[in-house]
Amino acid sequence: MKISFRINQKDVSLDLDPMRRLIDVIREDLGYTGTKESCGEGECGACTILLDGFPVTSCLLNAIHAQGKQIHTAEYLAKTEKGKLLIDCFDETNAVQCGFCFPGFFVSSYHYLLNDGEPNLEKIKYALSGNICRCTGYTKIFEAILLACDRIKKQV
Amino acid sequence: MSSARKFDARPKVAGTYRFLDDYNNIEMMHGLLFYARFDHGIISKIHLPPDFNLNEFTIVHASDIPGQNLVPEPVADQPFMADKEVIHFGQIILGIAHHDKKTLKDFSEQIQVEYQKQPATTDIKQCLEDEKNCFGKEILINHNFTPKSDPGCTYLHKVYYTPHQEQAYLETQGMIAIYDDQKKSMFIQGTMQCPYFVKEAVETIMGSAIRQVIVETSEGIGGAFGGKEDFPNIIAGIAALLSYKSGKPVKIVLDRSDDIIITTKRHPARIEIESWTDRISGKIRKLTVDYRLDAGAYQTLSPVVLARGVLHSFGTYNIEEAQIRGRLFRSNTPPNGAFRGFGAPQAIFAIESHIDHIARELGIDLADIRRINLLRKGDEMPTTQIIQEDHIKECLETVISWSDYYNKKARFEEFNHTHSDKKGIGLAIGFHGGGYTGNGEKILKSEVKITIDKDELVKIYVANTDMGQGAYTTLAQIVSEALSYPLSKTIVEIPNTDKAPNSGPTVASRTIYIVGALLQNLAYKINAEIPDNNLSSYIKNHPGQFPREWKLQFQPDPDIRFDDNTYQGTAYKDYSWAACVVEIYYHCQIYQIEVKNIWNVLDIGRPVNRKIAEGQVEGGNIQAMGYALTEFFYKPGFGRMHGFTDYILPTAFDIPEINIEFINTSSPIAKGLGEIPMDYPAPAILNAAQHALGRNFYELPLTPENIFQVLKSSHNTKIAQEDN
Repeated sequence: MKISFRINQKDVSLDLDPMRRLIDVIREDLGYTGTKESCGEGECGACTILLDGFPVTSCLLNAIHAQGKQIHTAEYLAKTEKGKLLIDCFDETNAVQCGFCFPGFFVSSYHYLLNDGEPNLEKIKYALSGNICRCTGYTKIFEAILLACDRIKKQV
Repeated sequence: MSSARKFDARPKVAGTYRFLDDYNNIEMMHGLLFYARFDHGIISKIHLPPDFNLNEFTIVHASDIPGQNLVPEPVADQPFMADKEVIHFGQIILGIAHHDKKTLKDFSEQIQVEYQKQPATTDIKQCLEDEKNCFGKEILINHNFTPKSDPGCTYLHKVYYTPHQEQAYLETQGMIAIYDDQKKSMFIQGTMQCPYFVKEAVETIMGSAIRQVIVETSEGIGGAFGGKEDFPNIIAGIAALLSYKSGKPVKIVLDRSDDIIITTKRHPARIEIESWTDRISGKIRKLTVDYRLDAGAYQTLSPVVLARGVLHSFGTYNIEEAQIRGRLFRSNTPPNGAFRGFGAPQAIFAIESHIDHIARELGIDLADIRRINLLRKGDEMPTTQIIQEDHIKECLETVISWSDYYNKKARFEEFNHTHSDKKGIGLAIGFHGGGYTGNGEKILKSEVKITIDKDELVKIYVANTDMGQGAYTTLAQIVSEALSYPLSKTIVEIPNTDKAPNSGPTVASRTIYIVGALLQNLAYKINAEIPDNNLSSYIKNHPGQFPREWKLQFQPDPDIRFDDNTYQGTAYKDYSWAACVVEIYYHCQIYQIEVKNIWNVLDIGRPVNRKIAEGQVEGGNIQAMGYALTEFFYKPGFGRMHGFTDYILPTAFDIPEINIEFINTSSPIAKGLGEIPMDYPAPAILNAAQHALGRNFYELPLTPENIFQVLKSSHNTKIAQEDN
């Protein structure tokens, strides 16, 4: 069936099996390979995208869930002002190791920065609780987001 | 000590760095590994589902292999694919490829295998009890051991168990194979630690059917931790076979449940320790260790894990008389393999726990028992290697004062008198030998290459991969510093067996310690050949001399000797040392341990890049925390784990405060770093649990269920004693 939505500020309309996993639509049909598949069952958050501004795991959604909605992936967020600031912070704190989980972490932390942004460790942990990282021990990821929150506060 | 930024951090966050599954082309077929869903049986027939057009599929079986059906390992006993007999669950029977991923999956789910069931050993604990399951070569170290008992000594005899641990790299395993019929060559691209292992594996399975194999890694490797040391050999072999048969490029990317079910894990261990300790001085006079690993159905690289385990099983202690025995056991479960630590986490868990039990038995403080028995400069290990440095003592004393160990211990005990929830503090020390065990590096003879182009780029060619640990950044930093040349113009090329010499596998904490040191020496050699001390201007002034290439091969130190039969001699030229204090909080209503704080003091020699080094310690600590608290693979009555829903990994909520200090940082040598932070936290957590709960534990992981069992059984014992 015809499924239409907006992804990374572009309108798309595709003829799809409505039950096709949304992650496959994003990665394979549209080529946004920044969204990663790791566990395939909604545990690890590597496939996190923003669906109408809310972070969701795209491996658990079907194409039909995107109908009429707005999707943003890591590739797009990386070009926004807050996204660039976050990337600077991840880079400076050496928060990234293998990086496979990172587009997902990036989307979740971008959402936190946009919607709360308080430099509060417990809140940040909650915001990242849907993302698994096996390399870093998370510590430097927390450090990066705290730093980003501080920088944004200073800008205002 | 600089903290140069990682060059790959930004594209990784933005999702533009390419991992294996991000490589696509229209021609490409998707591959899948079809594996046995039973433990042991003789295959009588394979029924392919009737409702599919078989012409669209490429299917390979053991009988299609033109070369040898044996994975080249230290012990080459494992076939790429089962022929008639399956001896473990998850053993691969077929490789299948199709253009459409979904059709491929539907097809494979409907394949029926008819087989005659055979007896199987799948209970790992039982397997490790029964000596008739023993296989492979036994290791025995005897260091002045006399069996006669000592009347002044306290005898303690305990058995320790550790479970499987899954590497759980976020990027599942995968390979692309592209066969070129005209050149009779096979190009392999994939996520791996050891490109030259993969090359040899593909050459073995393809035999004389092809002339050339080139192996290259994908741009990004999404974590490995040992899991991508040997299993990629099998995937690459079968992908190559599928590409050869179909004439098309074939990409195999495992989905998570296939990955977790069929790939290698950390070996479960049963470690039995006997000790004789002087009642007055607290000095351990004699020690025996019986170190047993479950290898799974095949030996593969387990003998090497066994060797490292045995060589770390006596801990960082000076013991006059020791007898250490190491053996592998066979079960009908997938072969276990490499995982960060490689036999040492099991060994250090057992010896560190045992030291604590000795201390409790004699009423000695946990720090004091270690001080009394610590390996000091000039002491001899059971392997006769003489210790050259006192850094472990410095690690221990620093971590005790930095963490405020004694005050906290007293305060927690006070707290525990008046609260149902409990607090505990634990201590553990550890060591890790850098590089291959024994004569390994001598045999490997690693080689590295550096080229300098006309365009002033310094390019580093090694076979070692960056699976997230930051190897490319750190190696480039070593060369850039040695050449006094800008880091921005110094790059590590993506490993490719056609371009990079064999600098050995990316394992054994050897990438910086061995390969980095070779590159540093090569850079010094280049410096010596460039007369005016300024590489940039020299290239500009002498364009005719470039591009130019330099190579250097590892030269073993002739004074370092190790006997592979008696295990006497220098097992590792340099050891890293560490001490750790862990603070826990026990939630009594849910029987759960929460780790609050970890202090690490490490001697890894010179940390080349401080932030990258810290990242290794933090990540290793948290993997060790998972090992201690939540991670296991088989559960009686439940079966095996299938993914991240049932295999429980630490998440953001579980993370304690992690404190790290490095000592001996002005050392000229950058020693092994990757593995040691995984070795020691688990026993520290266990002994903090003992401190909090006043009960002894001998087995990992300390899940709420297991803690409940121990508390219940000691409660029952108490009631039984009162009844009597």
